[in-house]
Amino acid sequence: MQALLIKNLTKKYERAQVLKDINMSINEGEFYALMGPNGSGKTTLVSIITSVISPTSGEVEVYGHNVIGESEEAKRLIGYLPGGSFSSPLLSGEENLLYFAQVWGLSRSEARKLVGGLLDKVGLSGEGKKRVSKYSSGMRRRLELATILFPGVKMLILDEPLTGLDPSARKEFLGLLKEINEADATIFLITHIGEDAEVASRVGLIDEGKIVVEGKPDELKRHSGLETVVNVRLGVKNKRVLDTLGGFSRGGRVLEVEDGYRVYCESPEEATPKIIRALDEIGYEATRAGVEKPSLEDVFFQLTKKSVRGGA
Amino acid sequence: MGQVTATTERYLKETSRDRAAIFWIIAFPIIWVIINSFTFTRGMPEEGLPLLRGSYAIHMAILAVMIAAIVGFPASIASDRERGLLSKLLSMPILPWKDAVGRLLGIFGVSAVAVALVFAVGSICGGRFHPTHLGILKSIGFFLLALLAAVGIGSIIGTFIKRQYGALMTGVGVVIGTASISGIFLPYPFLPSPLQAFSKIYPLSSCNSAVIALLAGGEESAGYNPLTAGHIVLTTTISIALFVIGLLLYRRFCWGRRWKKPVKMLPPMAGKQPPKTRDRCPNMGNLIN
Repeated sequence: MQALLIKNLTKKYERAQVLKDINMSINEGEFYALMGPNGSGKTTLVSIITSVISPTSGEVEVYGHNVIGESEEAKRLIGYLPGGSFSSPLLSGEENLLYFAQVWGLSRSEARKLVGGLLDKVGLSGEGKKRVSKYSSGMRRRLELATILFPGVKMLILDEPLTGLDPSARKEFLGLLKEINEADATIFLITHIGEDAEVASRVGLIDEGKIVVEGKPDELKRHSGLETVVNVRLGVKNKRVLDTLGGFSRGGRVLEVEDGYRVYCESPEEATPKIIRALDEIGYEATRAGVEKPSLEDVFFQLTKKSVRGGA
Repeated sequence: MGQVTATTERYLKETSRDRAAIFWIIAFPIIWVIINSFTFTRGMPEEGLPLLRGSYAIHMAILAVMIAAIVGFPASIASDRERGLLSKLLSMPILPWKDAVGRLLGIFGVSAVAVALVFAVGSICGGRFHPTHLGILKSIGFFLLALLAAVGIGSIIGTFIKRQYGALMTGVGVVIGTASISGIFLPYPFLPSPLQAFSKIYPLSSCNSAVIALLAGGEESAGYNPLTAGHIVLTTTISIALFVIGLLLYRRFCWGRRWKKPVKMLPPMAGKQPPKTRDRCPNMGNLIN
């Protein structure tokens, strides 16, 4: 069965068309990641699916329920985790969960029975009595994940849930998502980080309101035409370094990533030592340079000529 | 009812654990009751002091209601919007009126505690009241009207001022501004005549005058008779109108934004049920049928 079906979806604001004829589907039990830069329409798409805003035209169905005509039914099947930290810092973890469980429609006694199990599921057992203001950002995010695991929820929609988490907390959170997915929940993850999208069984790349390509991560990499790239890690990033690296790439294509640059060149193995030397000559030392398999961010760059993280 | 009580409980817990909110809603009016009772009584005849102190307590009790509903309430809405809670709630199966009633009961609870404490401190400071059973009931009615009007104003601020800081500052400005010119900070007889006219129309100050007339010395203390049928009808109408307008705007702009008229409609699709009225999307029928 299809967990999500989107047909010819568009969203126009007064001055801009944010979504342009989106067609996509997610199967039941699938882990789907939608990856795109800021402003590409990801959050608008999710806001329509979760009934937060209306589409301009098109159709969205969640497990066969139209999100507009049968919004109450659709809402009961969706657990939506928005981008910000929405839990109340003045309440304890348990109190936050009790509130959301009752808003979900459970009685107080049902909610009370559920809370312990939910905290346990997200690895917060023993932390429920603490105020959320005392939680780390990773703990807070896991608590908020628990607010979408109520009985009856079949599809989890997570909008940039890993923003602001350190690498260890990110990995823990993704591991948790994978476990939840393996227990039969459908997951729709929105992200602009390639590494996060790698855990999905299928990935869609969105740019300027259009789905550019969809497929399994390995398929996307295979079809991108990229075999390997040179990953250069540097302590600093500036135009001089970028220009130097651009000289080694095909058509000057260099992708700026968190810890340095990725250079797309004809013969990465041959180019790597030359790149190190060239950087050395202009007074910059690469902390690490090596040939790597392409990532999903490389695929996005290859297809759109844009960095998924928002840089040029 | 679970959704309403959960919302009320959250509001009460959050407010009671926020020291700044407690200070401004409860401690600040109490401090002014104490200051007024011992400072602004010089030269007054001794026999009139207990009622004057009682009326100061009433002024500050109304101020507490104003701070809770015109400052605290919009700040809470804006804060919920800023941290994404409103988006989260929009995606959940809760009806807007349940959220609104839950919040309203929360403000009612906070205000009731503040008013009770202000009256208690007013009494300790020498304030005296002349209540009758009917007078107490009527006073509670006027406090409720004041609360409705204040919630209405607070809803309007919280709906249109998106950021918490902005909502807070706007609320403070409205409270200070209207309290200064309407006879809540200054007794009604001290106001110039144009402001006395405003004081009779502004529901917070007219409720204030009505409670003073009922509990602390009658028409003489209030400065005019706020208990005529005409005044009561005017106060009730404006209070309820502000409340209804505030809630409708809150419902429309905080909860109803998703149902804007679509620019383009798709042709009807076979085999689909028409939208139910409770789905609140009168303009989307063709899109999904």
